[in-house]
Parts: sequence; structure tokens; C-alpha cells
Amino acid sequence: MSDTFLVSVAVWVLSAVLHFKDDSELVDRLKRRDPHAMSVLYDRFGRLTYSIILRIVRNEGVAEDLVQETFLRVWNRIPVFDRQRGAIGPWILTVARNRAIDYLRSVEGRGSERSFELDLLEQPTLFASAQSGLLTLDRQKMIRDALERLTPNQREVIELAYYEGLSQTEMAERLKQPLGTVKTWVRAALKMLRQELGEAVA
Amino acid sequence: MTHEEMHELYELYALGVLEGEERAEIAQHVATGCGVCQTGVQRAAAQNVAVLAALTPDTAPSRRLRTRLLAGMGVAGRSWTWLAWAAAAACLVAVTWSGVRAYRISNELDAARQQVAVADRELARVRLVLDVLNAPDTRAVVFGQEKKQPPKGTVFVNPRSGVLLIASRLPQLAPGRIYEMWVIPKSGAPKPAGLFPATAAGTAIHSIEGPVDLATTGAVAVTVEPEAGSNAPTSTPIIVAPVAGS
Repeated sequence: MSDTFLVSVAVWVLSAVLHFKDDSELVDRLKRRDPHAMSVLYDRFGRLTYSIILRIVRNEGVAEDLVQETFLRVWNRIPVFDRQRGAIGPWILTVARNRAIDYLRSVEGRGSERSFELDLLEQPTLFASAQSGLLTLDRQKMIRDALERLTPNQREVIELAYYEGLSQTEMAERLKQPLGTVKTWVRAALKMLRQELGEAVA
Repeated sequence: MTHEEMHELYELYALGVLEGEERAEIAQHVATGCGVCQTGVQRAAAQNVAVLAALTPDTAPSRRLRTRLLAGMGVAGRSWTWLAWAAAAACLVAVTWSGVRAYRISNELDAARQQVAVADRELARVRLVLDVLNAPDTRAVVFGQEKKQPPKGTVFVNPRSGVLLIASRLPQLAPGRIYEMWVIPKSGAPKPAGLFPATAAGTAIHSIEGPVDLATTGAVAVTVEPEAGSNAPTSTPIIVAPVAGS
């Protein structure tokens, strides 16, 4: 009985020692090339990263490769990440989404020249104002509620932009709708999400 | 474009899905340090991530992805946390296993001790029986010969060693009952001399150890008593073997 208790205490102490208090401490460790920090980073964001990539590429094997590529990219670029100003989570998820979109575009043979653009759009400096609070359960529920209120057309164009990386022209071709109509749906959907999230991301 | 018009396009720009002149114009503003556009694109990028996370169905990756990913980056395949849990689990298994094993061994030891105690008692009884039977001063009293009804047998009394009863054709006992032997002095109350059961065949060997004064002992008797035994006989004896006077 007492042995079991001692083991429990030992586990508790170990996990407390090994746990990083917050993301900024984690970023510090990553910058110091602490390999253990990488496993903590994976445990914190690996599942969401994988979910996003899988939703885009719809292939488990490819998704796993792209998750690896995402974390490797983050590991290599962490030295320029400013932990005082940004949250690492939004950055990782953006890299993940962009890696998957880049893969999708190259497979579908549309615009490999746009790789460079995606590359620019995942610069760590872009996430200087992103708050990790954006990914809290409360906030996520609020956004889901807002997404529920989109019309089917608005929802569809949002998914085409986020998950397929289609431009408005490509959406119009895909949906066989006039470009003007597509632009109206996109504008209305983004406006609603912007209003919902206005204060959260300001 | 005015900044107001651009405001509606920052999300698409940050998603990398804006095209042509619109994309080029915002890119130029950001590159040349336009504060409005830089802040706008940063806000849009954050919003995009929040929407993406909320929009995406949750799916768990395989366990092997973690191992592969960390190994691929030169990080030891398993985290210390994992190791700690594994070590703790191993300790727990070891402690549990030791506990179960100790419990089993202790049980086996108890059983062995009981067997040894039983064997010791049997051995002492056999010694006493042999001692009583072999001693020249042992007095043997046969009982039941004259009766047609059971039981029959012999009582051996040795003044130094004790009393030995060998009986057969004992009646079956009712549940909750047992045989009790008595040593009855010539004068005074019968003294309890131990409880004993009979075998299924109706036989029994019972003995008590200790000196017996033949001069003052009148008889050895057996009664049927409640299971706990009695301090004085509560029923008519089924065996009476007169010891004195021969």
C-alpha cells in the first residue's frame, strides 16, 4: 500500500518538474535547442496540427508526412520567433495549413509558383499579435456558433478558401457561379466572422 | 484601393488565396511598412487560425507518428514524461506482483505450518498409543462384549502416560454433537477427558496424556455432548469401562 503511494508521489513530482508552465517558456527552451521541448510542443499541438492537415489532404499517410514537415519547419525557424509578442500555437497551425495547401496545389497541378507566397505568409512575425487565447475552448465554441449561422453557400466558399486554398476565381469555376456572386458570399462570410472575433484578435 | 477596401481582403491575403492586383497591392503596403496593412494582416492571420481550428473535425494521429517525428528530428523517440510514466507503471506492476507473491507465499507458509502442527499432534498421539500399549503396567479394560448393541472396544490406562480409548460400532452422531470422554474417580465428579469424533465407519481412537492415579480412578466413560463439550456429562454414557478393582 505504502509502496503504491510512494510511486504515485514520484510520478506526480516528475510530471510537475517536466511540465512547462506556458508557451513562452516552451519557446525559450526550443530556442535553446532543448530536444525535450520538441516533444512537449508535439504533445501540445500535434493532434490539432494533424487534424487540420488530414482535413485538407484527406490521406493519413500524407498527413503524417506533412505533420513531420511542419514541426521540422518550426524547429528550424524558431530562432526568429519573438516569444515576447506572439503565441506559438497559431504560427504552427498556419504552417501546417500552408504545408497541406502547398501539397494539394502541387498534386492538382495548380500554381506551384504560389509556394513562395505561402512561405511568406507563415513568417513568424505575422503572428506577433496572435493570442494563444484564440484557441481556448470558449473562444472555439463561439466561433463554431458563428460558423453555424453561415448560409450553405457562405460555408462552402469558406471551406474552399481554408481547406483547398482556392482563389475566388477558382471557386467560381468550381461552383460554376459568376465571380461576383462568389465574392459576395465570401465577403459576407468573412464580415460575420470578423465581427464575431473582432475584439478577440484586435 | 482604399484601406477600407483592403480591410475586407486581409483574411484572403493571409490565406494566400488573393489574386492579381489586389494581392500585389496589399503585399506592397505590407512590404513598405504600412502600419495599417501590417496590423490588418496580422489580425486576419490570427483570425484565420482560430476559424480553422474551430472548423476542423478532431482526429487523433497514430502513436507511431510521435515516435517517428521526434526520432526524425534527433530527439529521443520517447519523452521523459513517457519514460516517467512507463517507469511508474513498471514499479506499480512490480510492487503489485511482489505483494501478490508475498501474499501467496504467506498463505502457503500458513498451510504448511498447519500441516506440520497436525503431523506433530498425530506423531505425539502415536507415541502415546505405543507407549501405553507397550508399557507393562498398562491396564486394559474391554467393554461392550456383553452387549448386543454397540459400541465395543478397549480402554487402556497407564498410570504415567494417560488413557487410550479404542472403540468401534459407535452410533452416528446428530449434527452439532460430539463424543466426550470422562475419567470418573471413585468419589467425586467425572473429569472431562477430551472431545473426539468417530469415523464414518463408527470407529475412534482417543487419548489423553498425563498421569492417572489408578487407586482413585473408578471408570472411564464416554457420553454424547454438544459440539463445544461439557464440564459435566449431560447424557447417559454409551461407554462405561470400570478401571478400578481388578
